Amino acid sequence: MATNKEILYIDELKVFYETKRGSVKAVDGVSFNIYSREAFGLAGESGCGKSTTAYAIMRLVPPPGRIVSGHIYWMGKDILNFDDEELRRYRWKEVSMVFQSAMNALNPVMTIGNQIAEAILNHENVSKDEAFKRAEELLELVGISKDRVNDYPHEFSGGMRQRAVIAMALACNPKLVIADEPVTALDVIVQAQILDVLRNLKNKLNLSILLITHDLSVIADICDRAAIMYAGKIVELGSVYDIFNNPLHPYTQLLTKSFPRLKGERRGIEYIPGAPPNLINPPKGCRFHPRCPYVKDVCREREPKYIEVDGGHYVACHLVK
Amino acid sequence: MSSSEVGNGDILLRVINLRKYFSVRRGILFKRTFYVKAVDGVSFDIGRGEILGLVGESGCGKTTTGRAILRLISAEGKILFDGVNILSIPLRKFKPYRRKMQMIFQDPYESLNPRRRIYDIIAQAIRFHKLANSAEEERELVVQSLEEVGLRPPEEFMYRYPHMLSGGQRQRVAIARTIVLRPELIVADEPVSMLDVSTRVGILLLLKELQKKLKISFLYITHDLATARYVCDRIAIMYLGKIVEIGPAEEVLTNPLHPYTKALITAVPEPDPNIKRGKIPIKGEVPPTAINIPPGCRFHPRCIYAEKKCMECEPELIEVKPNHYVACLMIQ
Repeated sequence: MATNKEILYIDELKVFYETKRGSVKAVDGVSFNIYSREAFGLAGESGCGKSTTAYAIMRLVPPPGRIVSGHIYWMGKDILNFDDEELRRYRWKEVSMVFQSAMNALNPVMTIGNQIAEAILNHENVSKDEAFKRAEELLELVGISKDRVNDYPHEFSGGMRQRAVIAMALACNPKLVIADEPVTALDVIVQAQILDVLRNLKNKLNLSILLITHDLSVIADICDRAAIMYAGKIVELGSVYDIFNNPLHPYTQLLTKSFPRLKGERRGIEYIPGAPPNLINPPKGCRFHPRCPYVKDVCREREPKYIEVDGGHYVACHLVK
Repeated sequence: MSSSEVGNGDILLRVINLRKYFSVRRGILFKRTFYVKAVDGVSFDIGRGEILGLVGESGCGKTTTGRAILRLISAEGKILFDGVNILSIPLRKFKPYRRKMQMIFQDPYESLNPRRRIYDIIAQAIRFHKLANSAEEERELVVQSLEEVGLRPPEEFMYRYPHMLSGGQRQRVAIARTIVLRPELIVADEPVSMLDVSTRVGILLLLKELQKKLKISFLYITHDLATARYVCDRIAIMYLGKIVEIGPAEEVLTNPLHPYTKALITAVPEPDPNIKRGKIPIKGEVPPTAINIPPGCRFHPRCIYAEKKCMECEPELIEVKPNHYVACLMIQ
């Protein structure tokens, strides 16, 4: 990774949703970076703030949400200061996104080819024919024969629609693609095929991928590094080997053990009693302390610092020194 | 075709050649009726106190099978419950069986009435089947069922509405509503797929506990082989309306024989970066509907081992190892 340069750096990002009952601290001081040519996984349970983080990177946080503080540096420039024109150039040409269940949001009365071409025409100064030709190339790139370019979405299977949506995200040669739960609604065989497509694209196009998922097996499958989020904060970050082979935070430890394994020896599975906290009034101290089996007095009082324990392996826990 | 035997021979449910065809009319000028063969000759047994997993991809007919067993939809074939063919009982006389055969649905956000308190949701089932003779008895049953599903103390949950509970707690209420009737069989259709990972395991362990404590049999319908491994005693793999392989869970998963089972297992990613997925030994994708079922072995167009005979002859489930049945011409 040393030769790869940092393309995205998120610094103490806070995104709150203002509701009648108070502000929901969905993302509360999140920092991480993404290098060129790497797949970075952001994992956590529903409501932990992983999708909100993704939306913030695209500057698409839906109201009543707003970015309260922090910085998002793209190639050294803070995108939070971008004007409309800069933002237009940044979105899709630099960073694009495969939205959650986007495969079900394709326009049913427009051919797949035209939908991809439309994305290109919106961002680049090319002729219609050129855009259409590029759409054909993109479909081939994700493993769909270009004969299918004039098909409508209903003629595609679920896996093919997901491939088409990925092709659309690649329309303007972005350097980073954010994929929000890209395989969640798919059957296992199709899921494996889509993961292979993402892995191949990353290698072929020198792409970086930010993969948002609740499924740790997907992270283990294609990511180089990963961060585990809990209640609006990153609790642990490191290489996938750090996260899976040497998890230090109790939440990461329990989460990795709560995944049933299919291959290898059958091991006991564990579960985490309780539920994630309400993010309007998160617990004092460490946010995981009400569910933590190793809780100490200090955990209830002080918030743990986010420290580097080993090269590139970060954890926020009082018990880790 | 013989169905697989259960260890002690104490069979609660025996499904014989179950078929469910849905008719669809298609075509613009000349409407023609086609049949979607959602379930096309399925046979299996469930022993008393056994958990059988029914695993397959979307559209393979696993949910239709579960619903047909509970007679939520009509079907052909035979379903012997405790030796009685329930498909020949008129529906108006079927109520006593409804108590014995219950269902847990996938989505606990949709399956609980949002306008009723937890107490009433459970009491409704008790009242429908007239299981309590007095208000105290009813209350006792509700309290007991909540305790049994781990919602303790019950008083704290009884008077809440579903929206005040988390997904895992809601699913526990849905389970309490079924076990309060002391059913003998529960069809659980993807009971954990809507839940977060950290709560999922709690529900799986609860199903195991109910199996042991109350001797309830389960048909566990899922697309997830990994959870099936932890819950099921035996596993049946379904493809396009038919069971292609059935046997003891650990045996089917560690020593799969049918090419489709092998492909499914290869495709599942492991929560471990040291284990890399191999190339998936399969061609193409599942046909979206079971309208044009291929002749011969219905898996042959996707099978990498298929030979000429696979296109001509339909394989039957054959016992290749004790209790391990496979429907594949290349193995038999």
